[in-house]
Amino acid sequence: MGFFFVLKRSCSRVRPFPPINPNGKSSLLALFSTSLSGSRARNLISSHPFSVGSFGAPRGPNGFSGSGKSLDFASLPKVRLFSSQTAALSEPTTSDGLTVDAIAAKGWPILDESESDWRSHAAAIAQSIRLIKKRLQWRKMIVRLEQLSAALNKSDLWDDPVYAGRISREHGELMGKIKAVNRFEQELLEHIDLLKLAREEGDKELELESMKALLDMRRDAKEKELEALLSGDRDSCSCFIEVQAGAGGTESMDWASMVMNMYKMWAQSHGFAVTVLEEMPGEIAGIKRATIKVEGEYAFGYAKAEVGVHRLVRISPFDSAKRRHTSFAAVAVIPILSDVSTQYQIKESDLRIERFRAGGAGGQHVNTTESAVRIVHIPTGISATCQNERSQHSNKASAMAVLQSRLDQLEMARQAQLNAEHTQSLTEISWGNQIRTYVLHPYRMVKDLRTNYEVSDPDSVLDGDLDGFILNFLSTLLDKDEGNTS
Amino acid sequence: MILRLPFAIRSALPSPSLPLHRRPIRSPPASALSSLPPRPRQEIPLFLRPLAHSAARSDLDAFRRWAKSLALTAAPGIAAAADGGPDADHLIRELSWLVQDATSEPEVGDEVRLRVGLEELYRLWRERIEKRRPFQYLVGCEHWRDLVLVVREGVLIPRPETELLVDMVAEVEGFQEGLWADMGTGSGAIAVGIGRLLGVRGKVFATDLSPDAVEVARFNVERYGLKDKVEIREGPWFEPLQDVKGKLAGLVSNPPYIPSSHISGLQAEVGWHEPRLALDGGKDGTDYLLHLCEGSASALKPGGFFAFETNGDKQSEFIADFISTMWGNFFENVETVLDFAGIKRFVTGVRR
Ligand SMILES: C[S@@+](CC[C@H](N)C(=O)[O-])C[C@H]1O[C@@H](n2cnc3c(N)ncnc32)[C@H](O)[C@@H]1O
Repeated sequence: MGFFFVLKRSCSRVRPFPPINPNGKSSLLALFSTSLSGSRARNLISSHPFSVGSFGAPRGPNGFSGSGKSLDFASLPKVRLFSSQTAALSEPTTSDGLTVDAIAAKGWPILDESESDWRSHAAAIAQSIRLIKKRLQWRKMIVRLEQLSAALNKSDLWDDPVYAGRISREHGELMGKIKAVNRFEQELLEHIDLLKLAREEGDKELELESMKALLDMRRDAKEKELEALLSGDRDSCSCFIEVQAGAGGTESMDWASMVMNMYKMWAQSHGFAVTVLEEMPGEIAGIKRATIKVEGEYAFGYAKAEVGVHRLVRISPFDSAKRRHTSFAAVAVIPILSDVSTQYQIKESDLRIERFRAGGAGGQHVNTTESAVRIVHIPTGISATCQNERSQHSNKASAMAVLQSRLDQLEMARQAQLNAEHTQSLTEISWGNQIRTYVLHPYRMVKDLRTNYEVSDPDSVLDGDLDGFILNFLSTLLDKDEGNTS
Repeated sequence: MILRLPFAIRSALPSPSLPLHRRPIRSPPASALSSLPPRPRQEIPLFLRPLAHSAARSDLDAFRRWAKSLALTAAPGIAAAADGGPDADHLIRELSWLVQDATSEPEVGDEVRLRVGLEELYRLWRERIEKRRPFQYLVGCEHWRDLVLVVREGVLIPRPETELLVDMVAEVEGFQEGLWADMGTGSGAIAVGIGRLLGVRGKVFATDLSPDAVEVARFNVERYGLKDKVEIREGPWFEPLQDVKGKLAGLVSNPPYIPSSHISGLQAEVGWHEPRLALDGGKDGTDYLLHLCEGSASALKPGGFFAFETNGDKQSEFIADFISTMWGNFFENVETVLDFAGIKRFVTGVRR
């Protein structure tokens, strides 16, 4: 572990219509002018209206965000920018014309952090920036930004306010991400300029300060590399995790509950709140199916890496002949969208709400702590059940939340061609879609079939140590994607 | 790896002899009664007590195992009594809630802070299983709607079906600013549920004949800070409401509606432990319902709304028919409303 970090942003809490900053254009351009003397540069950055400080990490005394742990890349834009401003996204350079790409291409040796060599720091940072851009799917982002800008400039845009709101929100978010990276590049180039300037003028103090700033950036960049893995629209959301046992009776149901336990422990170890919403126990052991809610920032971003079928090979404790068994459990992960405007609109009249497992006369006749509720969405036949809350009202509310997310997911699948990322629901997952194998016998190993990442200690994995698998998958996924689009 | 056993873990303690095979009778068997230690009337519900005790985590785990095996051993006996009592799954869930109420948020470390001593937990769980004492009396509360209501012996534990009465009130146009009455308020459930939704001028009068109910309802109203919105009045049905006669925007009630002859066959948790005054509705169970319908005509203002809970299907139909034929010129839009189990649970209507 240690890979995870606290990120300070919650799911899509985006203002529908960010206010226009009257200075937006000029100050943005100012940010990209580079030949500045040291003190002016520092001043500009710290007083800049787009400064990270206003919605990101607290800034250090030198005006740079240092190694703060907030996710600058996904920071929310407070400013709406129009297409004319995308022109400002031209490549920044140092005073002697060096770009970030040029630095990366120079092949300066990257030495240990402890070596005070600015070229080594700069090369490391430039490489990180390249990787970050790749993970953010930079080219796709730029193309999309251009499309959105064009859409925003249409005069009839606001005839459809819902569409307009969505477009301007997406535009703002994208712009925010792009600017954050550009700002980071800009910072690198400015520090290089300052360092060179300090050397020319023999200003030891300034030189030391710039070297230190480069080192801070280098560390920061490593974190940003990881953060960039979670830049998807819904990554910051909380989520539901659902596990369903495959064919094979008790052995599979036991496996399903081991898998569910693995996620509970994983989630808890990362400080996510875990609530069991639905659990259908097996007759003898294990579970047929269960749903948990995992609440916390980026829960979905990580957990989505787990979607698919998980396979177990072991000597079954349920087989008196001690034979080796293979069992399967399917895992689905559904984001919980908090941005109401993108949710599927459910009509009250389309719902049938039933007391689940109700029997007998009810009312005053019965004392029971069972108040499970099932809600069926009649047009789609999709349903959700919750039984673990302590009142019927809360069971209904939880079931409703699950249903909402399932319908959102269905809607996302329908609109898959529009830039939405979609994770499969349990019903869509085919049992052939195996993503990982857990072998307890005859040897011991867990291997991810998508990344070939493997671990020889299944116990630690089943105890929730999944980070290696998750991060490996996410980076593989993103590297592959960008390759396809370029 | 998680060690999983295909079979239930055997009880660490010898399982007690269970008085479960006898048919439930109206009051607990004398043996059960006499072994119940006298409890102070005003016991603080578990979840509100301070974390003044503690236990080793391993001891709490041992309690859990013991309690689980007690539940699993007792379940077949409860099922055999065929009175609709809890099954093993329900009991195990109640056990986790009992521990939830007795501890604080998930604690790490070897020492767990508790709101009662571990011995008390053992005693409580024994009562749950051996005496069929309702879980809600054990912990002193019931989660109902989004509320946690305090309950104790002498007061009916509010039922999930009844939650819907509040939703029905909330659908009445302009209900927020009206005067409402919840007759036979018991724990105050309905009154608190409505009180929380009211506007500045709205108010609920909550009445009950039982001093126990009045005391508990008062506690719940105060716990939710609704003293200004919910006024508790002691007395039989309409009597405490004379001063607002003809001014009420709505009347709701979940009056006792079980036919007297059914009382002796009730589920042990209900028949042995809940107050008969809250359950027994006379020969057909309709004594109070009819009284309420009749009184509503003069208590409600024109356009006023009523909603009553009933014993279900036949009783609802009977009451709805009766109102339409006998008091047809006083009421309109009289209808029955389903609960989530699909039973016609409520009768609603409007004063002309
Ligand atoms: C079925 S309980 C309902 C309690 C509460 N309203 C609920 O729904 O949980 C019926 C209530 O009516 C009260 N009650 C019985 N006879 C009454 C009477 N004659 N006048 C007023 N209340 C009465 C009982 O004390 C009891 O609290």
